[in-house]
Amino acid sequence: MNQQIQKLRDQFSENDDFFMLQDSFLGTPVVLLGLKSLIDVVPMKLSLQTYHAAAIESHITLDAFKKVLGEADEAVGAHEIYGSILNGKLFIYFEADDSFVIMDPIPRALNRSIETPINENVMQGSQSAFTEDIATNVGLVRKQLQSDHLRVHTHTIGTEEAKDVALVYYEGRADMDFIRRIERQFAQNKNKTIENLQQFSKEILGFPTWSMVSKFNQTELPQEAAHSLRKGRVLLFVDRLPLALVTPGMLWDAFCLDSDRNFPLPLMLFLRTVRVLGALATLILPGLYVALVSVNPEVLRIEMALSIAQTRAGVPYPAIIEIIFMFVVIELTIEASFRLPKTIGPTITMVGGIILGQAAVQAKLVSNLLIIILAATTIANSTIIGLQQSLALRISKYVVVVLASMFGVLGILEGMLLICGYLGSLTAYGIPFVGFPNAKSEANRG
Amino acid sequence: MKHTWMRAVGIAIAVGIAALLGGCWDNRDIDHRSLPVVMGVSLSKDKYEVVLQIPETSSKGVNLRILKQKGRTINQAVDKISERMESSVDLLHLKVILVEKGYAQQGLTDSIASFMRSRDISPKTIVAICDEKLDPFFDYVKKSMTPRGTTLYDCFEKNAGWNPQMSLTRIWEVYRSIHSYTRDVAIPIIKSGRNGTIDYLGSAIIKNGRMVDQITPEETLLFNSFNGHSAQGKIEVMDKASVMILRSSMRHRSKIVQGTPYLYVQITVKVSIVETKGSVTSQSINQELEKILMKRFSGMLRKSQTREADILGLGQYFRNKIPRTQLRVWRESYLPKLRMDFRIKSIIQNDGYTKLS
Repeated sequence: MNQQIQKLRDQFSENDDFFMLQDSFLGTPVVLLGLKSLIDVVPMKLSLQTYHAAAIESHITLDAFKKVLGEADEAVGAHEIYGSILNGKLFIYFEADDSFVIMDPIPRALNRSIETPINENVMQGSQSAFTEDIATNVGLVRKQLQSDHLRVHTHTIGTEEAKDVALVYYEGRADMDFIRRIERQFAQNKNKTIENLQQFSKEILGFPTWSMVSKFNQTELPQEAAHSLRKGRVLLFVDRLPLALVTPGMLWDAFCLDSDRNFPLPLMLFLRTVRVLGALATLILPGLYVALVSVNPEVLRIEMALSIAQTRAGVPYPAIIEIIFMFVVIELTIEASFRLPKTIGPTITMVGGIILGQAAVQAKLVSNLLIIILAATTIANSTIIGLQQSLALRISKYVVVVLASMFGVLGILEGMLLICGYLGSLTAYGIPFVGFPNAKSEANRG
Repeated sequence: MKHTWMRAVGIAIAVGIAALLGGCWDNRDIDHRSLPVVMGVSLSKDKYEVVLQIPETSSKGVNLRILKQKGRTINQAVDKISERMESSVDLLHLKVILVEKGYAQQGLTDSIASFMRSRDISPKTIVAICDEKLDPFFDYVKKSMTPRGTTLYDCFEKNAGWNPQMSLTRIWEVYRSIHSYTRDVAIPIIKSGRNGTIDYLGSAIIKNGRMVDQITPEETLLFNSFNGHSAQGKIEVMDKASVMILRSSMRHRSKIVQGTPYLYVQITVKVSIVETKGSVTSQSINQELEKILMKRFSGMLRKSQTREADILGLGQYFRNKIPRTQLRVWRESYLPKLRMDFRIKSIIQNDGYTKLS
């Protein structure tokens, strides 16, 4: 037996799903090697037999048969062979002339089918969502955007642990400098291992770690992904991640969905206005409560001031403690409802939201008005698009609350200024986060 | 890495400074502040008496607390009240300042100046004069207005109980009139009500911060419409009919001939008929209305001229015709000499839902 085969056997000796089968093709003994967990063995053998029978019928030579089976490259090293077996390929070794073929066998069905999106709701738009398989995802994009300008570059990153990453862009609309920059980063960091998006963003693309807003706008929807391609953005697919990473992420992604455009224009504008208002309300409302209750009550109308004072009568803590206390409870509720199975999620929401809130009011821990503010804020928070953006928004409201508790209404202004300044400072390879995707400059690119 | 650390330290320092120097520990929550809505001020024997009407909230509703103190200054009196209360008195929400008539006649200049100066009293606060002693008035207030905290204020609120025959004057307007050569103000005079919440007695003519005379509610209506306050929705009673003023507009021309100011004013009033008595024609209503308005206006003008108090702000029309050195004596030398050609034109815009027979 060949040395190479011996080596492979040693390498896979600790793996029980490794198989090594003896067979013969056209009278020549062969050894089939692969992983049972990735290759469906019985159909694989059936298909090999079909090939074999056809080869006997047409009287072709062994070399020609090798070509039918797959690529027969003598120059491939041991490491590549090892990698391709891990990748689910079948390794066929011909003992007679010490040659081998790497074949694409029938894989085990390890991917789920294309389903409706889970984390994003689509209103009147395409319902299919990305899956874990990178080829399927690229295929979905190709289906959505049938154009000869679409370009797909696939890279395998990592030596110890390989990960496929695909870069998709629309030639002629995307900023070629930006794409070259990403390609350069991929080439530079080819050997680094990526386990998650944090690492991907930091190690591979070199984005800063301590950024509140992700440089990628994540979407599950091929329609949105295709739309961003048309807008000149770049899509990144990471294998086993059912998401398209739209980069550079931009502020307006949080307010504009492509499927909005399936509505008449006034309705679309209304929807987008609502989202912007939701974001503003999330940032301002809690701060406004604190500012008006404890720092600047003169801003209120007297009737309002009296009724607020009445709801707060007997509440022991200052407004800032009160609001932070309730926000912590809300954050816990939200986090718990993510963690819990779908079946008991609603129960927790009810217990947390209604019963706890009502009880807190009755126990005179917090004021009635605060519960209203809290509910409004939590609802408004979810109007913007994308879980990550909404999370960033959820966190930034605390800045406003804290500043409002110190400087009142002025503090809200300061907080907003701080947030605007922060967003304004964000760039991805020189493309500003708050910029508008500008159609005019897109036409000039590429 | 070093950069990150530096930045983290920088942020920590900024947050620390904000927390330590913000002074936010002095912020009082709204339920620990007493928010007086009405302040009464009177002066007797060189001592101010201050009465505060404070709505006290409880879980059941609003109670009114009336607190009085005397002091050398208004502030001292307010501080004394604050001392004696469990929460601090915050004048931020003061809406009405009620001045006893006697004090108004002595002159409000000092108090108005200090109200303007103080940071917590809003310059938008309404000034009114109380035609009785403050004690009985506030006793009446406590007795009759308890379920709601803001009743007295609502009487003056434009979107609540305000009527076009009430003058509505803010602190800043009084302050302006004290320092202006050519404009005086009218302040409403009220009294505890026999029927209804309060009795409105007309307006006080304030000249340089002192009350010098009084005009009736009907004259105040004209005063308001002359000053461009909406007189809309007001019912004007005559012998034969009552009409509602829908809108009024004014045109004027002024000139000075040999030191005598001449003013031509034409007011166009558009009315709607609300009620008629006996047989009337639109012509007779027009005539009657013009006559009545004419009479009232000349009465008011005469009062203004004899008291040398320019509540109509007539001097405003001459500001560009009299040199500033002379403007100083507008009230004394020019106003009494003013010749006015005053015309009223009334248009019946509609007869209501039925035709005038």
